[in-house]
Amino acid sequence: MIDIAPILVTLKLATITTLILLIIGTPMAWWLSNTRSRFKVVIESVVALPLVLPPTVLGFYLLLALSPNGMVGSFWSMISSTPLSFSFTGLVIGSVIYSMPFVVQPLQASFEMVGKPIQQAAYTLGATPFDTFKNIVLPLSRRGFLVAITLGFAHTVGEFGVVLMIGGNIPEVTQVLSIVIYDHVEVLEYTQAHYYSIGLLLFSFFVLLVTYTYNRKLMVRFS
Amino acid sequence: MIDIQYTQCLNNFLLDVKFSMPNTGITVLFGPSGSGKTSILNLMAGVANNELLQHASFKLNNKTLDDSINKIHLKPWLRKLAYVFQDHRLFLHLSVKENILFGYKRNLSNLNPGDLIKIFNIDDLLDRSPSQISGGQKQRVAMVRALLSEPELLILDEPLAALDYQSKQQLLPYIEQLKQQLKIPIIYVSHDIKEVLRLADYVVVIDKGKVIDEGDIADLCLSQPLLTQQEGASFILKGEVNKIIEEDKLVEINCGKNILITAENMQLKQHVKVLIHARDVSLCLTPPKDSSILNCIAVSIETLQRDNNDKLRVFAKLGEQTIVVLISHRSAKLLKVEKGKKMYAQFKATAIIK
Repeated sequence: MIDIAPILVTLKLATITTLILLIIGTPMAWWLSNTRSRFKVVIESVVALPLVLPPTVLGFYLLLALSPNGMVGSFWSMISSTPLSFSFTGLVIGSVIYSMPFVVQPLQASFEMVGKPIQQAAYTLGATPFDTFKNIVLPLSRRGFLVAITLGFAHTVGEFGVVLMIGGNIPEVTQVLSIVIYDHVEVLEYTQAHYYSIGLLLFSFFVLLVTYTYNRKLMVRFS
Repeated sequence: MIDIQYTQCLNNFLLDVKFSMPNTGITVLFGPSGSGKTSILNLMAGVANNELLQHASFKLNNKTLDDSINKIHLKPWLRKLAYVFQDHRLFLHLSVKENILFGYKRNLSNLNPGDLIKIFNIDDLLDRSPSQISGGQKQRVAMVRALLSEPELLILDEPLAALDYQSKQQLLPYIEQLKQQLKIPIIYVSHDIKEVLRLADYVVVIDKGKVIDEGDIADLCLSQPLLTQQEGASFILKGEVNKIIEEDKLVEINCGKNILITAENMQLKQHVKVLIHARDVSLCLTPPKDSSILNCIAVSIETLQRDNNDKLRVFAKLGEQTIVVLISHRSAKLLKVEKGKKMYAQFKATAIIK
């Protein structure tokens, strides 16, 4: 029988991660697309690190940081009674960091594409920067948001290395799909591994298909 | 007059300008590409980068917009200057109607959108997307959008530059109409001498970030080499419509003396400027009796100047105003053209640009 719990954990993790990434990624991408600070390249590099770093390296340092003696972990135990390592919250923190470039980069690119000139036009018509962001930049960046949400979500669903290092593989809490597949393969239960793998494959394909179709429609509208 | 002064280090040169513009009519910033004209507009609108700004002072209707001594730089959304850009900059996710109401709503404007929609003839475009309309239409929409924000000054940055010849010819009358009806000053950037002569009341000549000349168009087109070289010398006569001769499609204009021009849609007592090219004027000693040329006006020769093209530029007084005539050296010798001599200037009524 297929256990539905890992699917739910995975969807929950990907949804929460994507939401958090939108909340912190949007201002971050906005800052990156507008700033002329010399720290811009530093921040850009840090955001892009998960793209090149082996997930095990990231997972290893997260494990240290999240442990009860680690920086984040000890702070967490001060404000909450539960430990951070091997918890769902810890998994969310790891996913947010791991999927960050997949949300921030498309947003930054689309903000940059909207460009200063159109914002200047809005300013001269009496719109404040916030007004301009809300009514001009956001709607013109719809494509960027669509790509950011899709990539952020899909990438979190497909996450393996970091989860393996910090998740602990606890059923119904931190056990996600990619880990379940790994476990089944390890004990040679290929049938179960197939069920989940085919499911993930179709899901990913479907998400990308919808995104690209919709993206094309948006493109036609704005061109 | 509105006094404007900016000093700023730009990428490749120092922008250091100080000029005044009248409170009404069109002031043209004229100069070659890359001379810093658009940078001045951006500073005025408050959208320029303020880094490396050494000095700034700009007041409009007793409101300080820039005052670097007291560190005042009003944010662009508080300036009440409308800006029409070379590249329309319409908001592509909004309809034409939503575009033109963007500034209108934010400035609690008292204007009636319907009036401007009618003047600029964009009724049929309102529900369309800006991406579906032509370049000339986009610029008209951009102008309505700017004007509906009820600005205290209108900035036009080469609004015709990106358009083809035909669209340009179609848009020019709208700008001329604006000039007639609008009470606010307009600052207009151009490097096209034809536009300058046709639209300007006041000209500020900019070169390499400096103001090299400024003044009334009628004075400047006699004296400023940059204005006389490209198109050849020309002059402007200011006057008032005296008589409308309907059957001949002619208008008599009093500019000290009466001259006739072919023009339609003029009103009595209307103030007009008539642009005449020096090459279209000739001189004679006695008025010919059987010429098709309608205007033959007594003038008094002032000075003679050598033109670049080996011709002579003759300056003469027509009443209180100065005209320029381009003649050959041989004609000058034959007619003994010299200072103080009374002669007749002949020019065709059709040689006059409105």
